[in-house]
Amino acid sequence: MHSRGSQVALAVVALVLGFLVVTQVRSQAGGTGLEDRSAQDLTLLVANLNTRNDQLRGEVADLGRQLDSIAAAQARGDTSAGQLRADLVRVRIWSGVDAAVGQGVRVVLRGPVTAVVLEDLVNELRNAGAEAIAVGGVRVVPATIAGGVPGSLSVEDTPLSDPVEVVAIGNGATMTGTLTRAGGLVAQEMATNQGLAIEVTPADRLQVPATARDLTPRVAKPRL
Amino acid sequence: MSGVAARMRSIPTWEITLFLALVSLGFLIAAQVRSETPRVRYTSQERAPLIETALGLQAQQKSLQVQILDLRSRIASAEVATQGSGAIATQLNDALFQARLSAGLTALEGNGLVVQLEDAPQVSQAAGSADLLVTGRDVRTVVEELWLAGAEAVAVNDERVVSATSIIDIGGSLLVNSAYVAPPYQVKAVGPADMYAQLAGSASWVDFVASRAGQNGIRLAIAQPASLLVPAYAGSVTIRYAQPPASAAPSANP
Repeated sequence: MHSRGSQVALAVVALVLGFLVVTQVRSQAGGTGLEDRSAQDLTLLVANLNTRNDQLRGEVADLGRQLDSIAAAQARGDTSAGQLRADLVRVRIWSGVDAAVGQGVRVVLRGPVTAVVLEDLVNELRNAGAEAIAVGGVRVVPATIAGGVPGSLSVEDTPLSDPVEVVAIGNGATMTGTLTRAGGLVAQEMATNQGLAIEVTPADRLQVPATARDLTPRVAKPRL
Repeated sequence: MSGVAARMRSIPTWEITLFLALVSLGFLIAAQVRSETPRVRYTSQERAPLIETALGLQAQQKSLQVQILDLRSRIASAEVATQGSGAIATQLNDALFQARLSAGLTALEGNGLVVQLEDAPQVSQAAGSADLLVTGRDVRTVVEELWLAGAEAVAVNDERVVSATSIIDIGGSLLVNSAYVAPPYQVKAVGPADMYAQLAGSASWVDFVASRAGQNGIRLAIAQPASLLVPAYAGSVTIRYAQPPASAAPSANP
């Protein structure tokens, strides 16, 4: 047979080989997409996930109360019409089917306003918690898209005048802070679009109209 | 020739085994090194617990979403059960069903289109090149193009796009409805049967594909399943600041 040294060498090589095969298989098994993020990015992500989970917990609690209230009405023999009505008002405002009033921000854009700038602004307002948004007096719903070139922009076939006014209902202070912070959306857009001026003003009472769109699906079927 | 053959036969088998094992070892080390070249590699010690925390929060999020969908379904059933024979309650229930449908709180099924986006394959060799990465704006563009093509419901990695949806970049990650979504990004849409034809005929879609897939190399794939399910929105529908205008009375009409 061979020397003891060669046996040891073979054993070591086999060990390293086995380790590498396992590592390779694990690395090919598909990651979470988080492995290549920096600590700073991960911290930001964790903060966002925490905020979102708090909102979801709040929703679970609200829904639990709603269910209890219906059960109580059922026990009393009531129809719970008041609960249904309140729920209906909330969902219709939230979806854009009904008009809404409340505090928020008014954003006025002057200069070369592009469809991308408007889309970025609406996205940022939603991220800052806007509950209802209108661009140039048109209620923004999921399929609302701005189009055209600077000077002849339109939303839902409604031409936008110069300056363009965007109104959002929500926490005015939070939305103003998010938009106007150093390095925030307003700073970024004004730095990359020469001649563009954006003015953000919190307001105590704003009105946002209902959408003119029919949001009921025509061909897709609900799965209950 | 016979000398070479004789010399080959004289090599001990353990040496051949060792040689083959070393060749395999070399191959695996090379493969391992190549597979560990992500966008950017970080080695700080605090990352492991942060990743663990993020994954834990993500799991909690999924569980909370399941609870929300379950509670909404139970509320809908309970509301129907309590309506009795009251005409107003029946009207309100019908209106509520329509409102939930319009709001994206009900899953929809129909003709489907799925657009998948992935970072350019060369991204691992060119860390830091933002054009090679799929961004929130790319995903928003795809969503917009699908709306323009007639989509009636859209979801990104099963996060339903609703009136409150934002799609944002956070340090190379994408948050949709504030939920972390990992690549590849699948944008699902249900709508009319000619959705793909409408999409393919859109000049802005052609420009997007030429620029991002053609020039930057982002991987883009499209599938047309015969039937597709776009899930219901599983987030908060709470409103704190928006109220109905004073003149608007709650109505049972959709």
